[in-house]
Amino acid sequence: MMRKTANIVLLLVAVAFCYGLQVSKPHYGDLIGPIPARGKMAETIVGRNFEARAEKVAFARNLKADRFGETKILTTGGVWAVVTVEFAARAQSTSVAVASWRGPTGLAYDQTERMSFADGLLPVAIDPGLPKKARLVFELRPDEASNATLLISEKLMSALDSQAEISLGPVVIAPDGLPAGTVDTLDMSQPI
Amino acid sequence: MFENAGSRLKAWLVAGIGTAAALALAGVLGAFGARHEPMQLLAPTGRIETGQWLLRPLRAYTAEGENLYGAPLKPGARALVFEVEMTNRTAKSSKDYFDVLQASQATVDPSSKPFIVLTRDSTLSPELHPGMPERMAYIWELPGGSAPPASLDLTVIRKTYKQRDNLYGLPGWFNPAPAGTLTLPVGSGPDTADIQP
Amino acid sequence: MTAQDLVQQSGLGERKWRRRSLWALLLLIPLTFAVEVYDSIKALLADNDLFARRVAWGQSVHFGGSDWKLTDLRGAFGMANLPPDSVPVLADFSVKVGDPDLQKLWLGCKVMLIDAAGRRWAPTSAVTLKAPGDVQTCTSAIFSGAKSGDTLNLRETFLVPKDVTKTIRPAVGLASERPHFLLFQLEKD
Repeated sequence: MMRKTANIVLLLVAVAFCYGLQVSKPHYGDLIGPIPARGKMAETIVGRNFEARAEKVAFARNLKADRFGETKILTTGGVWAVVTVEFAARAQSTSVAVASWRGPTGLAYDQTERMSFADGLLPVAIDPGLPKKARLVFELRPDEASNATLLISEKLMSALDSQAEISLGPVVIAPDGLPAGTVDTLDMSQPI
Repeated sequence: MFENAGSRLKAWLVAGIGTAAALALAGVLGAFGARHEPMQLLAPTGRIETGQWLLRPLRAYTAEGENLYGAPLKPGARALVFEVEMTNRTAKSSKDYFDVLQASQATVDPSSKPFIVLTRDSTLSPELHPGMPERMAYIWELPGGSAPPASLDLTVIRKTYKQRDNLYGLPGWFNPAPAGTLTLPVGSGPDTADIQP
Repeated sequence: MTAQDLVQQSGLGERKWRRRSLWALLLLIPLTFAVEVYDSIKALLADNDLFARRVAWGQSVHFGGSDWKLTDLRGAFGMANLPPDSVPVLADFSVKVGDPDLQKLWLGCKVMLIDAAGRRWAPTSAVTLKAPGDVQTCTSAIFSGAKSGDTLNLRETFLVPKDVTKTIRPAVGLASERPHFLLFQLEKD
């Protein structure tokens, strides 16, 4: 009887142990995911191939940009967020192509595809020793503006490569629902 | 193997009961439910959920191919336009809306893919961002010389979320399947009124 | 022979084989590892410029089926609209084509500048300088249809910080020669 009980207990322990192994095992997607390099606003974040430093974030209701010589106003159903980032290459020339804005609830907003004609946006080619500024433009819901994280990587499939994760900190939301300091129109044709 | 007819009968009975139980269980779990389910008719004045997208049909019309949201149509071609408010229900920016709507084969050439345009500034198939409704236009080029259709039949396709797909172990939307059909009146010209506010 | 002897003997044989198997593992595990990593190592070597072959100033070297020679490396100082403390650098090569199958031999052609610290600069698109008509880049030369015996004039333009102009050396890598690449020395070296 003792022996039988001991066997059953051992079996249960083995089941629990195997279940623990199963649930704690990292999934393939986690294993081959990007490697984060974390930091805050105005800090230089050092990745494998590039460095990034977020200088400022501006919010706007509309963007003004030049398209083949004519001025274009870009409206949005939410709010535009324009982040100025300084990039530098480390050991060799490279280019940075992908950025997204991760809001406080985890929603990920990719760079807008509505401004592909404008200058100073990603992808940006960078060389060692020659820092270069670029603008990252996002279209987002105003409630995703505060405590967001900026994710920057060289390529779309940044498996096992660095991804800069920059915490942008809290943003005060004004009574009109938009971030405080939101300008009506931001002129993107101005030099960075 | 069996010593007598009695035990053979017993074996047959056990096997038969096992099979019947398996079939009954499969039936309870819905293995046969997918068969012959009639296609659901969707109300055009309402919201349609397709997994990734929330659709709110606005209007359908035919028009000459000039200045139709900058879509690169053949000169002089007539186009069938379906305007819809789309909201990305997922957590990521996405442009996985190319297969969400299928026009019936009677109205458009099944081999022709529609141009999908953001009406706000005529950007051709941009990514749409989570929780931000946008008015989009699906623009099909109509075959030359055909009479403008009086109504548009659309099949709405939905996909299913998988936390990990079988090939890469990564999350994604898979298994497109029809969610229902939708019929809209087709107006004439871009002045056609929206069917819902 | 008693039954006990038999048992003992078979036990001995088993022990012997167990020992042999354990020793065999010493050989088999490294062998398996070698087989597993072979493709990865091959890809690593074929994709990267790892080992430099130094080329003295004025010397011509056979590389990827042709004879390569560095003819000039100079800075283009005094240009406007450039980032502060940066200078465009031009590298000129004269290549005498040997094997004319450039589309195969020159595939993945990469010209770069390497400084004393090992940092590498790729050609830039930020600067465009006028060049004589017969000057090509490495990639455009691949499709030039050059025949054996022709001499190609190649020029690549780079943008580097001013403080590294003293130590940069031009280098050329081709897929057909990787992991080896050419590192050209200057007159003053």
